[in-house]
Amino acid sequence: MNQLIKVEWFKIRGFVTFWILTGLFAVLLPLFNYQFSSGMMQTGGAVPISYSFPGVWSNFGFWASWFALFIAFVVIILVTNEYRYRTNRQNIIDGWTRMQAFHAKCLLVLLLSLITTIYVGTWCIIFGAAYSNTGFAFFTQDMEKLLYFFILCLNYYGFAMMLSFLLRRSGLSIGIFMLYAFIFENIAKAYLNWQIKGALIGNFLPLQASDELLPFPLMKQAEAIAYKGAAMPESSSYVIASVIYISLYYIISRYRLLKSDW
Amino acid sequence: MAVLTIDNISKSYGTIQALNGISFDVPEGSVFGVLGPNGSGKTTLLGILLDVLQPRGGTFRWFNGMPHNEARRQVGSLLETPNFYHYLSAVKNLQITAAIKQHGANDIDRVLEVVRLSGRKHSKFSTYSLGMKQRLAIANALLGNPRVLLLDEPTNGLDPEGIAEIRELIIQLNQQGITIIMASHLLDEVEKVCTHVAVLKKGDLLLSGDVKEAFRNEDLLEAGAEDIQQLYAVLGQLPGIKGIHIAGNVVRMSVKDQSAVADINRFCFEHGIVLNHLSLKKKSLESKFMELTRNN
Repeated sequence: MNQLIKVEWFKIRGFVTFWILTGLFAVLLPLFNYQFSSGMMQTGGAVPISYSFPGVWSNFGFWASWFALFIAFVVIILVTNEYRYRTNRQNIIDGWTRMQAFHAKCLLVLLLSLITTIYVGTWCIIFGAAYSNTGFAFFTQDMEKLLYFFILCLNYYGFAMMLSFLLRRSGLSIGIFMLYAFIFENIAKAYLNWQIKGALIGNFLPLQASDELLPFPLMKQAEAIAYKGAAMPESSSYVIASVIYISLYYIISRYRLLKSDW
Repeated sequence: MAVLTIDNISKSYGTIQALNGISFDVPEGSVFGVLGPNGSGKTTLLGILLDVLQPRGGTFRWFNGMPHNEARRQVGSLLETPNFYHYLSAVKNLQITAAIKQHGANDIDRVLEVVRLSGRKHSKFSTYSLGMKQRLAIANALLGNPRVLLLDEPTNGLDPEGIAEIRELIIQLNQQGITIIMASHLLDEVEKVCTHVAVLKKGDLLLSGDVKEAFRNEDLLEAGAEDIQQLYAVLGQLPGIKGIHIAGNVVRMSVKDQSAVADINRFCFEHGIVLNHLSLKKKSLESKFMELTRNN
């Protein structure tokens, strides 16, 4: 496993695009949240944006879930690079098994999810410490949102990885990812929830299942009104759905890589 | 002992049959040339042997059945085009190879010296010329002193001096005991270095084995007479003659050895033909190869 990580690190180390994109992510994420926390962006009190404990976990987590898309694109670029340079072949020729080449990328997704989560968690603590009147009294409350964020990262990055393995081209993969995430899934969600009353099936679409774990602060109440009478699913059911999807990305990618020519 | 045993390998792309039941052995210590015209399946075969392509049927064994990925770490390979991370330098690219092979990290400077890239070893791959890229690919194959070198068109993109260097390198490495498997359409190259060959055409194996056996010393004989059609008809009856055809004002044919010349002369005379031209020519590997791949 160390050997797989070492090789992936060698590939990333000198890859400028990676450092620019993740650097922008790292800088813009706290700045973006600062515009709300500082009062620079007036929300008129209509939206309860809280940066004190425990609200900071869900609030910062929601905005961070948008920023995670950045890293999903980085995943697409890193995976499709192998096809672009045909180094996917070279890695095999030099002695990796297909499974090793595949698991190296799975480890990359896992590590990037972990690092993003730790980074977001660190800023949550900094913002929470700065804006809480009660100090760390409510520090641990709602902290499970950080775990939800980790699952969301695995879901986004895993989906990005699968698309890259299936499509093999970065532009196409990023395009399809955006069309799917921003447009198709929203239409599908609305349609399913409209057609199938009382079940909110649409909330359980692949990326949406994780989005539901970190909703826009007022969204839950708004949905409860919109879908009156429907039972609002528990977070645990979204966690289970997300884990199932993440496993599916793994299985589909694996099947594809073991069956096809390289 | 065979370092590689290939048994009945087939491969198809849709309806196109790329390889058709290929079997042969590569003996240890040989320089084994895989020959064939463009599109004959050479690269497809090598791709299968390196596990980047899936055969439709058949098996192959490296080093008497060593697991394929372990074997590949002991085989230095160059397949089709040099594949490297464009944004990394030669050294950093070779570090990746060494990490995958799990040996050879301290061999990087040596192999770059061998292919004369030391001066540019910290430049990005994307800044290299075609010849430099090819030389880096050869350095990559040499990394960590492999037991076997598998080279697909190793002299692609090199200038005449570079080609001669690679040829020397191959001979030198072979003398050190390294087995070399080399695909090429440059017959001149193959003739100079190979001890064994396999010839492919449209996915079929036409022949394989020792170079001298495979291209047994057949010579080309030219004969001429007043009535060329009559000469052609008469010689057609003589046993032991192959590939007879009229070429301009002479009849050309393949003969096994030089004693056939006297037989032909006598045979023609007995049939009332007086030859006005008779000459024996050594066949180049190229003309043998052309004949072989054209006739089948």
